[in-house]
Amino acid sequence: MDAMERRVFLKGAGMGMLAFTVGGANVLMTPGQARAQGVPFRLLKAHEAETIEALGETLVPGAQRAGVAHFVDQQVSVPPGEALLEARQLNVRPPFINFYRAAIGAVDKAAEARSGRRFAALSAPEQRDFVDLMRQNKIDGWQGPAGGFVYLILRSDAVDVVYGTMEGYESLGVPYMPHIAPEKRW
Amino acid sequence: MATQEKVDVVIVGAGASGSVYAAVLAKAGKKVVVMDNGPDWQTSDLISSDIWGRRVKPAGAPFILEGKHPVSMGAQGGWGVGGAALHYFANFPRLLPNDFRIKSEHNRAHDWPISYDDVAPFYDKVAQEIGVSGDAGAEELWRPKGQPYPMPPMKTFRNGRVWLKGFEANGIRMVPAAVGMNSIEFKGRAACIYDGWCHVGCPIGALANPLVTFLADARKTGGEVRAWSTVTRVLTDASGNKVTGVEYYDRNHEKQVQPANVVVLAAWAAQNPRLLLNSATDKHDKGLANRNGLVGKYIMTHFASGTNAMFDEDVENHMGTLGAQYMSYERYGKTAHKGAFGSTFIVAGSSIKVSGLGGLANTRLDLFGPELHAFMKRAVKNLSRMNAFGEELPKIENRLELASEKDEFGMPLGRIIHSYDENDAALWNANFEEGLRIAKATNAKDVWQARAVQPTIHLMGGTIMGTGAANSVVNSFGQTHEIANLYCAGPGIFATGGASNPTYTIFALSMRGAEHLAANWSTVAG
Repeated sequence: MDAMERRVFLKGAGMGMLAFTVGGANVLMTPGQARAQGVPFRLLKAHEAETIEALGETLVPGAQRAGVAHFVDQQVSVPPGEALLEARQLNVRPPFINFYRAAIGAVDKAAEARSGRRFAALSAPEQRDFVDLMRQNKIDGWQGPAGGFVYLILRSDAVDVVYGTMEGYESLGVPYMPHIAPEKRW
Repeated sequence: MATQEKVDVVIVGAGASGSVYAAVLAKAGKKVVVMDNGPDWQTSDLISSDIWGRRVKPAGAPFILEGKHPVSMGAQGGWGVGGAALHYFANFPRLLPNDFRIKSEHNRAHDWPISYDDVAPFYDKVAQEIGVSGDAGAEELWRPKGQPYPMPPMKTFRNGRVWLKGFEANGIRMVPAAVGMNSIEFKGRAACIYDGWCHVGCPIGALANPLVTFLADARKTGGEVRAWSTVTRVLTDASGNKVTGVEYYDRNHEKQVQPANVVVLAAWAAQNPRLLLNSATDKHDKGLANRNGLVGKYIMTHFASGTNAMFDEDVENHMGTLGAQYMSYERYGKTAHKGAFGSTFIVAGSSIKVSGLGGLANTRLDLFGPELHAFMKRAVKNLSRMNAFGEELPKIENRLELASEKDEFGMPLGRIIHSYDENDAALWNANFEEGLRIAKATNAKDVWQARAVQPTIHLMGGTIMGTGAANSVVNSFGQTHEIANLYCAGPGIFATGGASNPTYTIFALSMRGAEHLAANWSTVAG
């Protein structure tokens, strides 16, 4: 990494934040802060973000408030080499937005076929039942990336924002013990 | 297109094997350039976070992954200077004598063209060079005597010790794990502080990654590391009998040529054959070093049979290292398990972080919602696991070939086809069954295993070594049979994979190959 690149990298990583666009300027904040401040999404459409939030909250309680949709949105908007998504390790081919669009589309299409409503509009018990079937690849007529794989990726994103941060470790009562600490709670 | 000043040797890949070649050849006075397609990572880039740690892994590696058991490219690979050895766990078991003669002893797979005795001095030399902690004497239960390790074993923690009762009950002797980590300060590098972040890169230099060992040595003696340089072809002279350098694309995607007297491909088991195949000429119409059609063949991996256990006590699973505390070759015999052929290497006692691929949340992938949260609250205190790694025998149909689709540089993607067979499944399952017996003989309250998909861990083969062009791509030094000044390095040259983590052997074979090259320079490069 050259000096200029390292400064940019450490500005984000060292402070433990991601760059969100607010009023045309890049502002460093956590995804949870971005959600609380209503930062506009870069690539996700409103209904796509809604589906990710609903899925995230079903998978890991607290994921919605922790900004899972803002996390995914920011991450799919940066060059693949800078992305921090678990999808990167699971052989998803960039651009990562393509995978998320296909996954969200499959979820909502299947939810509508089963219940006449998009996933986010299902009741909490219905969402749980849907996710349980999806993870086992047991939803009839599913069209898109395998349901079990969608479950794995979205669950990983939700785990990241809820448990994978310094705050997450603290909430579970386990010491974080960093060599090089993310300065904020990321 | 620009042509750079000619160098003695260009090394493609700045990971485990390339860094050794760079250090040895630079020290021998050769003008060395090491090229890597990613960033020039520094230890200060290695943030302690599962999330940030993903940056040192490939994002969209140029491979299409097929077969019943596609290889785990994203998780296992590296991206940038340091390669996969920037995030490896630094478990340092070695291959054993039986790995080198499977064909002779069992009429299966193939023999290596060398024996354990040829490699053993280099295991010892690497240990002294970069630091290994462990108890060599204890390992001699299973292997010939060698030199002691330069550092005593690492500390142990309850997450490792809770397993000992189960191993003992099953007749499995465990010894301190050999690891490429500092149990004490070593050559000015700090001792480990047991924070368990090894898998995202150790920024304090306690773990022997290339940045603080061989690459640092290479740089000190004049070696150049050229990041953001993507090699696409190895170039040959008009006769086809010699390589003359490499073609690569720089950070601005400008095509460049780097002339060199010797080319060493050290870009991992996937990229080395891809480069050879993409370097076809009229004299080498199937690719370089591929007249026998063996380039890309015999891709191999390891498979783990992991056993998770929940204890009543706090096992301190956040403490320690991602490497193991204890290891055993007790089941390393090729016929140790009835009905399944191949070696097994057993480890216990690694730290487990909360998130990430190997994290606590993924030990129960079936859980979500409030049930996952309840599990996490318990698991952060009480969960530990052991692992048994199994050997996949080489199969010619597990291979890499070029695809029609091309990458951003116009180079065909590699297609890697990989599937396990019935024997691999049998060994995987035998290790699971033994894992259950071990866990049930501990004080664990709950025991479970994830058997849904047989995993692919490590990557080996594709340019295997052998006695000649009839059976292999390279000789035991990594020199291709067809072109004397073209070398391959890394796990790709393993003739078989054994069951041991490969990096210690990668270092040892690379040192052996590099020293041989330096000693025979005029013959090879002249």
